Amino acid sequence: MISSDFTDATRTKNEPMIVLEHVDKFFGSFQALQDITMSVGRQEVVVVIGPSGSGKSTLIRCINRLEKHDRGRVVVDGIELTDDLRKIQEVRRETGMVFQQFNLFPHLSVLDNVTLAPRQVRRMPRDQAEELGKAMLARVRIPEQAHKYPGQLSGGQQQRVAIARSLAMQPKVMLFDEPTSALDPEMIKEVLEAMEELATSGMTMIVVTHEMGFARAVADRVVFMAEGQIVEVGSPEHFFSSPQEPRTKLFLSQIL
Amino acid sequence: MENQPRTRPSFWRDVRVIRLVLQVVAVAALATALYILWFNLTNNLRRQGIRTDFSFLDQPFGVRIAGSDFRPGSSVRDAFWNGIRNTAALAVVGLPILTVLGVVVGIGRLSRNWLVARAASLYVEGLRNLPPLLLIVFAFQAVILRLPPARSPITPFGWLVVSNLEIHVPGLTLQPGGGQFLATVAAAVLAAAVVWWWRTRRQDRTGQPHHRWLWGLGIVAGTALVAYLLGEDPVTVSRPQLEGRVISGGFSGLGAYFAVLGALVLYTSSHVAEIVRGSIQAVPRGQTEAAEALALSGFQRLRFVVLPQAARIALPPIINQYLNYVKNTSLAIAVGFAEVTLIAFQAIGNGQPAPQVILLLMAAYLTFSLVISALVNVYNRRLRLVTR
Amino acid sequence: MATLTAAPVRPPLVAWVRRHLLSGPLNTLLTLVFGAVFVAAGMAVVRFLANSDFTILRVNLALFMVGGFRRDELWRIAVAAWLLSLMGGLVGGLVAAAAAARARQTGVVVTGATGRGRWSVLRRFWPFGLFLVICLSLTETIQPTLVTVLGIGLAVGGYWLARRWPASWRRFLYLALPILGLAAYGVMASSGLGWSRWGGFHLNLFLTGAGLLLAFPFGILLALGRRSSLPVVKGIAVGYIEVIRGVPLITLLLMGVFALGFFLPSNLRPSDVTRVLVAITLFEAAYIAEVVRGGLQAVPSGQTEAAQALGLSPWKITRLIVLPQALRATIPAMVGQFISLFKDTTLVAAVGLGDVLAASSFANSQPAFNAQGLARITLPFVALAFWAGSYTMSREAKRLERRLGVGER
Repeated sequence: MISSDFTDATRTKNEPMIVLEHVDKFFGSFQALQDITMSVGRQEVVVVIGPSGSGKSTLIRCINRLEKHDRGRVVVDGIELTDDLRKIQEVRRETGMVFQQFNLFPHLSVLDNVTLAPRQVRRMPRDQAEELGKAMLARVRIPEQAHKYPGQLSGGQQQRVAIARSLAMQPKVMLFDEPTSALDPEMIKEVLEAMEELATSGMTMIVVTHEMGFARAVADRVVFMAEGQIVEVGSPEHFFSSPQEPRTKLFLSQIL
Repeated sequence: MENQPRTRPSFWRDVRVIRLVLQVVAVAALATALYILWFNLTNNLRRQGIRTDFSFLDQPFGVRIAGSDFRPGSSVRDAFWNGIRNTAALAVVGLPILTVLGVVVGIGRLSRNWLVARAASLYVEGLRNLPPLLLIVFAFQAVILRLPPARSPITPFGWLVVSNLEIHVPGLTLQPGGGQFLATVAAAVLAAAVVWWWRTRRQDRTGQPHHRWLWGLGIVAGTALVAYLLGEDPVTVSRPQLEGRVISGGFSGLGAYFAVLGALVLYTSSHVAEIVRGSIQAVPRGQTEAAEALALSGFQRLRFVVLPQAARIALPPIINQYLNYVKNTSLAIAVGFAEVTLIAFQAIGNGQPAPQVILLLMAAYLTFSLVISALVNVYNRRLRLVTR
Repeated sequence: MATLTAAPVRPPLVAWVRRHLLSGPLNTLLTLVFGAVFVAAGMAVVRFLANSDFTILRVNLALFMVGGFRRDELWRIAVAAWLLSLMGGLVGGLVAAAAAARARQTGVVVTGATGRGRWSVLRRFWPFGLFLVICLSLTETIQPTLVTVLGIGLAVGGYWLARRWPASWRRFLYLALPILGLAAYGVMASSGLGWSRWGGFHLNLFLTGAGLLLAFPFGILLALGRRSSLPVVKGIAVGYIEVIRGVPLITLLLMGVFALGFFLPSNLRPSDVTRVLVAITLFEAAYIAEVVRGGLQAVPSGQTEAAQALGLSPWKITRLIVLPQALRATIPAMVGQFISLFKDTTLVAAVGLGDVLAASSFANSQPAFNAQGLARITLPFVALAFWAGSYTMSREAKRLERRLGVGER
């Protein structure tokens, strides 16, 4: 049943950007991911929800190899992730990631945070990198903070810098790992707005979040995970109004 | 609201009065204690006919200082300066060595190679749990003193002349024409600086890697090599020569000097290693992950993300270890190396007034410590991560 | 339920060796080099143990342990050791009980508190055990062994007692600790000579314990002074702490031995042990003050504010709210200070006292052993004594830090 959903979804968006086939992941004897199979089309926005410990973060961390999957295949834009370091770096260059705890580099100014990877990885001239960095900061609406340090910014501003930092690598895919969970309530909106803008511009995105409003408004598909497995997949309307699986129903009744 | 009466509270519960009284009491207590000590001191000194001023500094010191041309007739003041020079000789040579050793061992403890990590942790746990004085005494009594006596030294590798009194190591000697050579090398260093700047600019403009270390070192090394080959041996290695009983050439140091140096370098480097390891581990895991997600390579992650942050964490405690090292050089008193504490000890032994001598000794260490702490504070204020 | 798939099987040893020893050419080279170093070092140690004559230690064991303590009064040391073993056992049991209570309250399961078998004690205290076994193997009569066995028994008994003791009566056990300590001191010091003839390792231990105990109240006062809002009080405390921390301990010891007399009334002539004890106390107080200051800073300012809001007086806030929390946070750092003082007590040998390091030199100047380079045997023995103590204590401090939850919010 799950697989039929997938074929439907993949038909709507041609040629998938990300393909996972029968992926397993273990931490010691604990199985964090169990036979995960899914694909994400180009320009598609997939929101992953589920209770804590259900393997959502592990799933997207396998996509840019922050975690190594133990079995199965992970293919990003036609590149399969193996132990080949060159392949890993290629995938990471095309994949941006935003973390729950921002993980900005505290010893670098905001602009240096944004330009570090373009200069060092993409070998971009400084002027060009700074121009790009400023453009990205403008895109997340904080161009005026370029010369401050991360510690001087609010949580919402820091997370937007983190988004700009990833965008400066001009990725084809953006991964969001609970980007608003560490934020004060009044700052969540500004980050979600930046993400929405990104989705509208046609970025391929996988978002792990608890923001159901965002899922409803922006997602092309919603994936529900529990205990390391994909339990249910569907369009937001379908998913929130008439969930099929009892676990999904239980989860939705608990959070809504 | 009622009108508050503007009278002052009774004085015994007026906060301002209480604060004032407490401070006056503290000053009075301190002054009384100091007065009693001073009273006893002057009384005792007068009764024993000991001078209470610092004029003893001009008296003859009365003892030879091993390993120097200090004459017993020279003044106590000169002896003190001699001691400070010897303390400095321990610090100047020891601090760079122990830093390198500490950093290497500290990183070694994080090695993925199990044997390397084991070896490094044996080094650290073995050394830092021993008393430094014990290490010094061991290095002197069980290593240096078991070397052959001064009348029949050995010459390991042909490059060293070693006896239980002195150790001679090779040195460099400038020959005629050496000045020219040094000038050429200095010019090369200047040129390297310019190239450094050029490579950095070029990277900014084009994004190409600068390799400025490679270029800079290459220019200096290349020039030095060419200049050395063109000149007629401008610099020669002077190797200690043993001819009969006379040893010439190279640099020499007392056995006791090497015992103190070796023991303290080992001891302090074990502490530095622990700091280095802790600082690297203290950089949050998320920092490395973010750098990985940005596709920075392993070296780039270290160079741009981990090490700059670890260095900020490590620097203050490492400076503290430097201070400890310098204070620990005072333990050389146990093996008779004439640094400033031993000089003070001998001065007291020769009848100079102990209170003044020790005060002078403390002042010397204190000046050094306070100057270093002041510098560190300035540096810390500049390097502290900016926060709200 | 989904089908359960087993974790991928990895051949444990082979995979481990490949990952940790042979993961690349450089790594393999390092493995070879360091493997050779380990083998060579191991052989050197075996050769040293096999070829050395340990007579100098056998003959002088009492000198190393108790220095000039009167040999016909040695029973006093044994009784004191028993009392202190009991005290150590009680302290260990109380700490374990406190950690267990805390675990019950917070629901955090502390591993290693009870389980993991009785062998965990051996794993934690093996350096002590090694040192004891070596010492006992050097003795010529059975008495020291009996004393040691009884001491260990008392320590285990004390631990057991403190763990099983009802919590409501625990204060009586706390009261027993200083009584046992004082009794131990009383037994040793009542031989008529006081501590002026004490020496050997016994002196190092005594100076460590007494120095820390005497410096403790002084250090707390200095720390409070340093945090005081009164500028004069703060100035005095800061000045004292910075001056003392800026000079080496040996200068203070020299001051104690050669100059202390000048500052006292002329009828007061303290013994050398007293003099160095004064110097150590003055020195240690400054360092303890810094340790306590660290603990005070770890107490959130909200604690003081809450207490002020409840209307407590400043003195009561310090005594009932701030200090208890601060002191608990300082325990690991205090153990670190204890270790550092323990190692520093060897410095008294440099100013002419007969501690264990001086005993080594003394033994090497005896006619039977003179000028034979036997420092290579006596000094490692002394080193082992210090290493066993420092290493075990520093590991226990780390463990305590975890179990007391210091640093947790």
